[in-house]
Amino acid sequence: MSETVIETRNLSKTFVRDSFEIHALEDVNLQLHRGEFVALMGPSGSGKSTLLHLIAAMDRPSSGQIVTLGQDLATLDDHDIARWRNQHIGFVFQTFNLIPVLTALENVELPLKLTRLKKAERLAHARTALELVGLGDRMHHTPRQLSGGQEQRVAIARAVVTDPDLILADEPTGNLDAVSAREVLTLLSRLNQEFGKTVVMVTHDPHAAHAAQKIRYLDKARLLPEGDVPEDWTMAATQKR
Amino acid sequence: MFKYLSLILKNSVRSKRRSALTVLSIAASLCLLGVLGAFYHVFFLDPPTEEQALRLWVRNRISLANPLPLAYQQRIAGAPGVRDVMVFQWFGGTYKDREAKNFFARFAVEPERLFSIYPEYRVAEDQKLAFQRERTACMVGRKLADRLGFKLGDRIVLEGDIFPVRLELTVRAVYDSPRDNENLLFHFEYLKESMPGYRGEMVSNFVIAARSAEEVPHIAEAVDAMFRNSAQQTKTETEKAFELSFLAFIGNVKVFLLSVCSAITFTILLVSGNTMAMSVRERVREVGILKTLGFTRGAILGVILAEAVVIALLGGIIGMFIAAGILDLMSRAPSIATDMSRLTLPPLIWGLCLAVSIFVGAVSAFVPAWNASRRSIVEALRFTD
Repeated sequence: MSETVIETRNLSKTFVRDSFEIHALEDVNLQLHRGEFVALMGPSGSGKSTLLHLIAAMDRPSSGQIVTLGQDLATLDDHDIARWRNQHIGFVFQTFNLIPVLTALENVELPLKLTRLKKAERLAHARTALELVGLGDRMHHTPRQLSGGQEQRVAIARAVVTDPDLILADEPTGNLDAVSAREVLTLLSRLNQEFGKTVVMVTHDPHAAHAAQKIRYLDKARLLPEGDVPEDWTMAATQKR
Repeated sequence: MFKYLSLILKNSVRSKRRSALTVLSIAASLCLLGVLGAFYHVFFLDPPTEEQALRLWVRNRISLANPLPLAYQQRIAGAPGVRDVMVFQWFGGTYKDREAKNFFARFAVEPERLFSIYPEYRVAEDQKLAFQRERTACMVGRKLADRLGFKLGDRIVLEGDIFPVRLELTVRAVYDSPRDNENLLFHFEYLKESMPGYRGEMVSNFVIAARSAEEVPHIAEAVDAMFRNSAQQTKTETEKAFELSFLAFIGNVKVFLLSVCSAITFTILLVSGNTMAMSVRERVREVGILKTLGFTRGAILGVILAEAVVIALLGGIIGMFIAAGILDLMSRAPSIATDMSRLTLPPLIWGLCLAVSIFVGAVSAFVPAWNASRRSIVEALRFTD
């Protein structure tokens, strides 16, 4: 059995909005292993993104425990969590979220600025990452000068430039056309297979989910047992077909 | 923070129009602050020159309009520490007409004492002798000579007002001086003999040259004590204090200047604060992104504050260069209330104004930057303006 990289125990998250309590996650128990490529699927509001944010320590759980890469995140303060995130997590957003005033190269270099690397080393790493995603000829373009697919590939380069253990992608193909989406999924699969990165991807798209080795479903804030699919989800898929 | 420089600089000019307007508004305010600061420096902080530090002025305790007996000169000369005493009489009068361009200060002095009490007045030896020898001679400052085209040998007629006489003077010398080089100086003896009787025996001021700067305070006390029981009591003060007393005629200039400077600083704080708040608000999402990449609260706070400081400092530097230009023009203009030639932007005011810029930048951005840095990642990523 390979090493467990994510383990959640009775993980719950409740948001309070205008005095209403919203249960975004309830008693989620999940184990993911090194080198896995897992897709998290489920209807809107099922808690997929919330789970991803908790795994990345971008948010704190209301109750339960989460151990990512052997680290109980509850024991870290904000400063240490930021450093931990920089070293171990690469995050890819649906809306790319590049800094518009920086070039592709500068965007990719940004997480490395938090390391002790010298400028020349940082730039060398950033160039390598951009070449890896096939954008060696777009290094000095700003996000406005890139297509959506290219922007997302820059975002993936930024996510992998620190050589993180875990790549978390929140609807990475949600804003892309079919061709660009396929390129991005191929890239994520390559990172998983060639570089052994553990990838957790939240998606609505069943085609995208098929790029993953395993699909886990969330429904009404709960993680369904492995192999189970939400009832509404099956019906919708059948109607689509 | 240096490694974030490209991010800071690029963010500073993200909205070019807004940044330019903010820089210009700060530049305009800092320019005004610099000019007022330069005035404050000249009036209250500029140390007296070596020669100035040795001079004291004596006037009637009641006011400048009340004269002192000429006979006081001999008694003052006997006070301990006094090296020399000279009459310095404001003449007033009119040259040609009452147009402002023809206005300049005219004083009756004692030429044989003048150059020992005012060693900073530099004049060619032959001109000096010519001025001292001839009773109707006068000496003009270089700046005045340039302004009104006076040349050696020119005849200048002054129609008196306070003194009901007509003086016909000949320019015999032109002096250079680091300050006060816009005066016309002529023989007190000429004025005295033109004003026979009581008026010729009264003068507005005496200028004392002390033997050393240490003796200056004692001389002031001794001279005033000497005439305490006289009909015309004296007020003796340093030249610097005497100059400042003219400012007091228009009110408490020190408080006025400081109040205006404070108001300017407060106003730019508000303008800058509003701009910085808008700028940070537009980028709350990016704060979430930076945090996702591993930026700490402190790093985010630092980056946003640095952006604000860059903008404010740029405005400050531009403003100070404009202020230096304005002060240079003012220093060339004719002096009216004070000697404008001393108006420059000293390093102290440069430093203070740039410090104000940095303060404005940092303070105006602190609250929005602090709030943004404390926002949770999820909240920041969901933020829509």
